[in-house]
Amino acid sequence: MRIGIDVGGTHTDAVILEGDKVIAATKALTTENVVSGISNALDEILSMGGVKENQIETVMIGTTQFTNAVIERRSLARMAAVRIGLPSGKGMPPMVDWPGDMKSAINAQVHMMHGGYLYDGHRLADLRDGEIAALIRELKKEDIKNISIASAFSPMNAEPEIKVAQAIRDAIPQAQITLSHEFGRLGLMERENASILNTALLPFAAKVVDAFQSALKKRGLKCPAYISQNDGTLMSSDFVRKFPALTFSSGPTNSLRGAFKLTGLEDAIVVDIGGTTSDIGVLQGGFPRESNVIIDIGGIRTNFRMPDIMAIGLGGGSLVSENGHKVGPQSVGHNLVKEGMVFGGHILTATDIIVASGDKKIGDPNKVKALDQRLVKDAKKTMHSLLDRTIEMMKPGGKSLPVILVGGGSVLVTDGLKAASKLYRPENAGVANAIGAAIAQVGGEAERMLSYRNISREDAIAQVTRAAREKAVAAGADASTIRAIDVEETAIPYMDEGATRLRVKVIGELAL
Amino acid sequence: MNDKLTYIDLEHLDDLALGSVFLATGGGGDPYVPKLITAQAIKAYGPVALLEPKEVQDEMFIVTVGSVGAPTVSLELLPSVQEAAETLDAYEKFIGRRIDAIASFEIGGGNSVIPICAAAAKGIPVVDGDGMGRALPEAQMMSYPIGGVKPTPALAYDYAGNRATFETDTTETYERHIRAFSMSAGGMVTAAEHPMTGRQVKDTIIPGTVSFSVKLGALLRQKRGQAPSLEAPLQQLFKGSIYGECRLIYSGKVIDKTTRIIGGYDIGEATIEDFSAAQENLLVNIKNEYLLARQGDRVRASVPDLITIVDFETGVPINAERLRYGQRVAVFATGCPDFYRSQKALKVVAPRCFGFDIDYVPFEEL
Repeated sequence: MRIGIDVGGTHTDAVILEGDKVIAATKALTTENVVSGISNALDEILSMGGVKENQIETVMIGTTQFTNAVIERRSLARMAAVRIGLPSGKGMPPMVDWPGDMKSAINAQVHMMHGGYLYDGHRLADLRDGEIAALIRELKKEDIKNISIASAFSPMNAEPEIKVAQAIRDAIPQAQITLSHEFGRLGLMERENASILNTALLPFAAKVVDAFQSALKKRGLKCPAYISQNDGTLMSSDFVRKFPALTFSSGPTNSLRGAFKLTGLEDAIVVDIGGTTSDIGVLQGGFPRESNVIIDIGGIRTNFRMPDIMAIGLGGGSLVSENGHKVGPQSVGHNLVKEGMVFGGHILTATDIIVASGDKKIGDPNKVKALDQRLVKDAKKTMHSLLDRTIEMMKPGGKSLPVILVGGGSVLVTDGLKAASKLYRPENAGVANAIGAAIAQVGGEAERMLSYRNISREDAIAQVTRAAREKAVAAGADASTIRAIDVEETAIPYMDEGATRLRVKVIGELAL
Repeated sequence: MNDKLTYIDLEHLDDLALGSVFLATGGGGDPYVPKLITAQAIKAYGPVALLEPKEVQDEMFIVTVGSVGAPTVSLELLPSVQEAAETLDAYEKFIGRRIDAIASFEIGGGNSVIPICAAAAKGIPVVDGDGMGRALPEAQMMSYPIGGVKPTPALAYDYAGNRATFETDTTETYERHIRAFSMSAGGMVTAAEHPMTGRQVKDTIIPGTVSFSVKLGALLRQKRGQAPSLEAPLQQLFKGSIYGECRLIYSGKVIDKTTRIIGGYDIGEATIEDFSAAQENLLVNIKNEYLLARQGDRVRASVPDLITIVDFETGVPINAERLRYGQRVAVFATGCPDFYRSQKALKVVAPRCFGFDIDYVPFEEL
């Protein structure tokens, strides 16, 4: 049996799965220290399902903690950002295009030094001992232990990053270092941004993973624990101590994957309605459709693979205008239980509308009895057409797809959706995220720039696939189940014949 | 209507860059980093005056500036303001006279903003126009050489400050030589070339493309949404410009993309399948840029007309090297500037110049 947990900003959800079956599910409040929220949820599902701790083979956790930390600019560590690439990029230091509040939240020491490689394997410049010594002096002076290092063309040749990291470790043994080449893909600025965000999250990651592990230990769960990442695959919880940034955007991914698990529909639109927003995404072959455009997180460009999600301001707490022609984007959010009319408050919300219409019984229906039925009708129409419009926009052109409703706010959909070929409201839709976490797979990706003059195409693909497999195994995959799911070749224009950028993604089942 | 754009300031850069990717027809490279250094230059030195070609004085000395190399390389080998400015300083020293204004090679992609960066640092104006009105793979395809301007004396400057100068007999030779230098200097250099008098610029430049790209980018930003909703506003904008017709010719999913390298170019094709499979697939041939779009034997658009592939959901244009399997896209065709429909220009940019055995027919007549 597996346990899936989703640690969100407001709720901590947990489920127990036996094979495909949901044995128990619960929703608890997320607590300040994270630990007791998880403990409460675990207590509840274990007793609910009558399951013993030793029957649980593995625990999978999805969390938005790290994304939220970046968006809210909190729990970020003081750090140093080191770039190796001079004399190129003078005047383009790390974080040059970051929002000002994020820069001051991190308050990083910035270093630029000579070194790096060129596309053809020649050195861009030699590393300079004097610059490395000066870097170490500055780090020691301000007692900085969290360091990000990015060098030009490091996905092809990471030697300068590794050498400088070694020099730092020799001088500062407790240093925690992120090397940009571990984030794959070419694109120095995006890769470096990922590396810097990751570094700033390292101490928080240690705290969060400690909390996860101690909550499990407290409950007597000795099985391995995994954490889900943005592409719907898993990493071991110790891996997250080193790569917290890989959890960005895992929330929407898990809700899409959970919706797939709950319905078995490989191709569908998933509408996840919460208190403030509805996240609309697309399942293709059982996995989230990825975004085509560069994604930024908290205003910072990164190179992560992310699901293509459209968020609109419609949720259970959305404010309704006097005539019902406008619903959202403002919302009372988690104060719905105080401020909504059916709960005795004075603010007209989307939830009040569906109670007034007689579709649902939430809170005290008498409080909305006096509402004008025409307003109620119009507001319902507004909500449904908002969703219909967005679904139309997300639909792979022309194709009619079923729609899966998940999330606590899905009660708002009372009349069916015109844009849906069929509407599904699976049981346990409220904990789709936790289910998504419980069924995650393990992936790995590698990318190299190489020349088919020096290596045959078959050997090149084999070499890059091997690197991707190694990454997947390091992240906890069962080597025997790994298969390549994407091989991408890009020839480099204006260059030497045969120069190619090759990227391979593999995916496999979790080694249990 | 819109006031005439007489300068480029920070507020114009995002739109200029976005519009330039649409005009780049798949090539030209991502302008993101070039845009950042241009913003730095404008912050440090102030906005750049934009000269309408007709305002250019005949005796002015004007040079074109831009990056030459593989767009992918610029993702790692970051350009800098200093590199752009020093290229011009070195060129002035080499040729022994001051440069009065800058013009652009091509409005497509990163090279739409590099001239503005260089001009800001130098404190001189930029001419509102370029040598292509789009992006094209080879130097001899620019309107300057087609109009009789020599590309040399030229100077190229690499990331480390190494430089090479060129004096060649033909534009084709120049193209081969500078490419060889670029390849051995890390894959990306900044070049100053095509020295011209103001008179020559007036006679050969594709006019108004810088300010047009700003307008186009603003439209794509303001109307961001599914591609079909963009067709009418795009049509309206292009109709009132040097380009003419703009139409959405296909929407669908990329079901295949293969590229191989022949003669130093990225050559390949992409196959797009209609969303409802109601019509034949669209095949797009690529040589750095999107050159030819056809359904079976039926040509839908060809070079020198512009073929632009955009993200179906947002209308954001996608560079050829970012185009990949599974993407949902829409294809727009846009008439090229009239200059490229002249016999003189078609001699070097017609489909046969790219190895396609078809005559050029304006896409709106197909």
